[in-house]
Amino acid sequence: MANAAVGLAARAGAIILAPVGWLARVLDPPLRLMQKAGGQNGMVAFFLAPNMLIFGIFVLFPLVINIAYSMTGGSALFLEDRVFVGADQYRRLFTCGNYLDPGSCAEDLFWTAVWNTSTFVVFQVALMIGVALVTALVLNRDIRARSFWRAVFFFPVLLSPVVVGLIWRWILQREGLLNYMLHGIGLDPVVWLVERDWAFMAAIGVSVWAHVGFYALILLAGLQAIPKDLYEAAEMDGTRPARVFRRITLPLLAPNLLVVLVLTLIRAVQIFDEVYVLTGGGPGTSTLFITQYIYEVGFASLLRNPGLASAASILMGSVLVILTLAQLGIARKNEMRSKKG
Amino acid sequence: MSAITLTDVSRSFGQIRVLQDIDLDIRDGELIVFVGPSGCGKSTLLRLIAGLDRPTSGSIAIDGRDVTKVAAADRGLAMVFQSYALYPHMSVRQNLAFGLENARMPRAEIDARIAEAARMLEIAPYLERRPGQLSGGQRQRVAIGRAIVRNPTAFLLDEPLSNLDAELRISTRAELAALHERLAATMIYVTHDQIEAMTLADRIVVLRAGRIEQVGTPLELYNRPANLFVAGFIGAPRMNFLPGRIAGSADGRSTVELGGAGTMLVEKVEAAAGDHVTLGVRPHHLRLLPAGGGVAAEVTLVEALGSETILHARTPDRQSLLAVLAGQQEVAAGETIHLEFDPGTLHLFDSSGLRLQPLQRDSGAR
Repeated sequence: MANAAVGLAARAGAIILAPVGWLARVLDPPLRLMQKAGGQNGMVAFFLAPNMLIFGIFVLFPLVINIAYSMTGGSALFLEDRVFVGADQYRRLFTCGNYLDPGSCAEDLFWTAVWNTSTFVVFQVALMIGVALVTALVLNRDIRARSFWRAVFFFPVLLSPVVVGLIWRWILQREGLLNYMLHGIGLDPVVWLVERDWAFMAAIGVSVWAHVGFYALILLAGLQAIPKDLYEAAEMDGTRPARVFRRITLPLLAPNLLVVLVLTLIRAVQIFDEVYVLTGGGPGTSTLFITQYIYEVGFASLLRNPGLASAASILMGSVLVILTLAQLGIARKNEMRSKKG
Repeated sequence: MSAITLTDVSRSFGQIRVLQDIDLDIRDGELIVFVGPSGCGKSTLLRLIAGLDRPTSGSIAIDGRDVTKVAAADRGLAMVFQSYALYPHMSVRQNLAFGLENARMPRAEIDARIAEAARMLEIAPYLERRPGQLSGGQRQRVAIGRAIVRNPTAFLLDEPLSNLDAELRISTRAELAALHERLAATMIYVTHDQIEAMTLADRIVVLRAGRIEQVGTPLELYNRPANLFVAGFIGAPRMNFLPGRIAGSADGRSTVELGGAGTMLVEKVEAAAGDHVTLGVRPHHLRLLPAGGGVAAEVTLVEALGSETILHARTPDRQSLLAVLAGQQEVAAGETIHLEFDPGTLHLFDSSGLRLQPLQRDSGAR
């Protein structure tokens, strides 16, 4: 029976793979010719070319253009119609009586967005790591239906950010599900997305809900990599649970925690889509974050100013580059440490 | 110092019975070795004693105190894990101190104990290093050191030598024996290596499929194996087994037919004529007869080790035989040889594999 099944699977595999074989046979002669002409390095360049082309068109070229735009003024869309203004756009962004008081700045919305984003980053990252760690610790235990719970926590990660925003708006809006339930148990409804503080907390909560599964997964992998023997040795040594967590789990999970910290930081600075759908930056400017500011200044507002948006995005990009370099550095250090073993 | 008593201990994982009805008295200060093939339950038994696992039924007592439901930490035992289980992010000193700090021991006392263990195990130069910076042998010493500093009532060692290379294993084995002598502590040692068991043990417990097959000193097990399994497991190379049949009994003697290899006269055993038996003879107890007689066999392979020669041979009814002969022998593959054995060294087992009466000394192979 088993043999027959294996034979059948092998035959099915052969049929499915047959076109691949034909294709290989067709492609082989010209590729051989090319390798003869271009040598091995030429082939490397040939195979890398498609991806480099896409990277060039969609990443490298826009980056260069963006720098050029940030040094031009006016509302014209095409670069050749725009006026060169040097560092004027940057100067405008940094013209400020007091940076802590956006009202005193030339571009008050930019600084509002900067402070909103900073506050968001601090609370969202802290909450994200805390929830991810607790989730991972719980999912690492021998609980009933563990696979089911793992799926439950990971599922939101698979949703599109717009869907996440819509789901929660439906829950939190004035006539939403939450208020309906509050009404049901006799409580007064709360206008979650209209009150500044509630809206800000909703933005944090929703983004944590949407992404925590991913970070919990990274931490879970780290927890499972800790040998069980160490916990048994600690048990023989009569170690209290809190001390086991502090002296064994946390230090051995540190590399994963660092990765999660940097990744959540980067994602939090970039926050846009789910919050934009959820609150639209409101009420007022209370959930206006930098990416939304850039989008609105560059594309959405009546008085659009692509130069100013470019300058702001270059500034934000610099912060992200620093964070990314930090992440790469940490990853390399981890790799070296694991090699040393 | 402590005596450990297991009464009727069983452990099941779901439907699978890993240990069944284990009764065992481990004496104060003895080094007892649990030995058996993979999956025989020896490590599970050790974990039950350690308190890392709970028996499904039965009880465990240390010095008369029932500890069946006592937490691992409160049993006063220390364990050396097969993987060593050293905390990788702590220095050797911190590894040794960790358990003592849990017990809130004064710093001076901790330092004194670490210094003493470091001196005993010669690990003082590495105290500030991390486990990752140590060799396998050094890690092993640290693992033992971590057990020693706790001054336990008994040491539990789970295959502690299995991660060492062959040479280091032999020297560490000797050191462990010396350590046991010196500490005079009860040690329970788990291994699948019967040579480790023979060299280290005061007594050996042979386990198979969750049951105890035999308990005894190494030489008791070697000289009087209780059954075919123990006979085959203890001793290297493995004991030769030849199928035979009781041809008849007279004058207090029984005649055993060995297939095509001849007949033997042995002291009467409790078996009727026609019963099938198995005859066991260790490779070291076979001798080469210069001329005919004894058991005839064809040589299939000769391994000349210089100090001894190992002959692989096959009897006419295709039973394989292994003979370890002293010195160098002028024998080639394909030759027919004649082997004899001293009846005093023979073992006879009944059809269910249990040991039969000892054989009489003055009858030889015919």
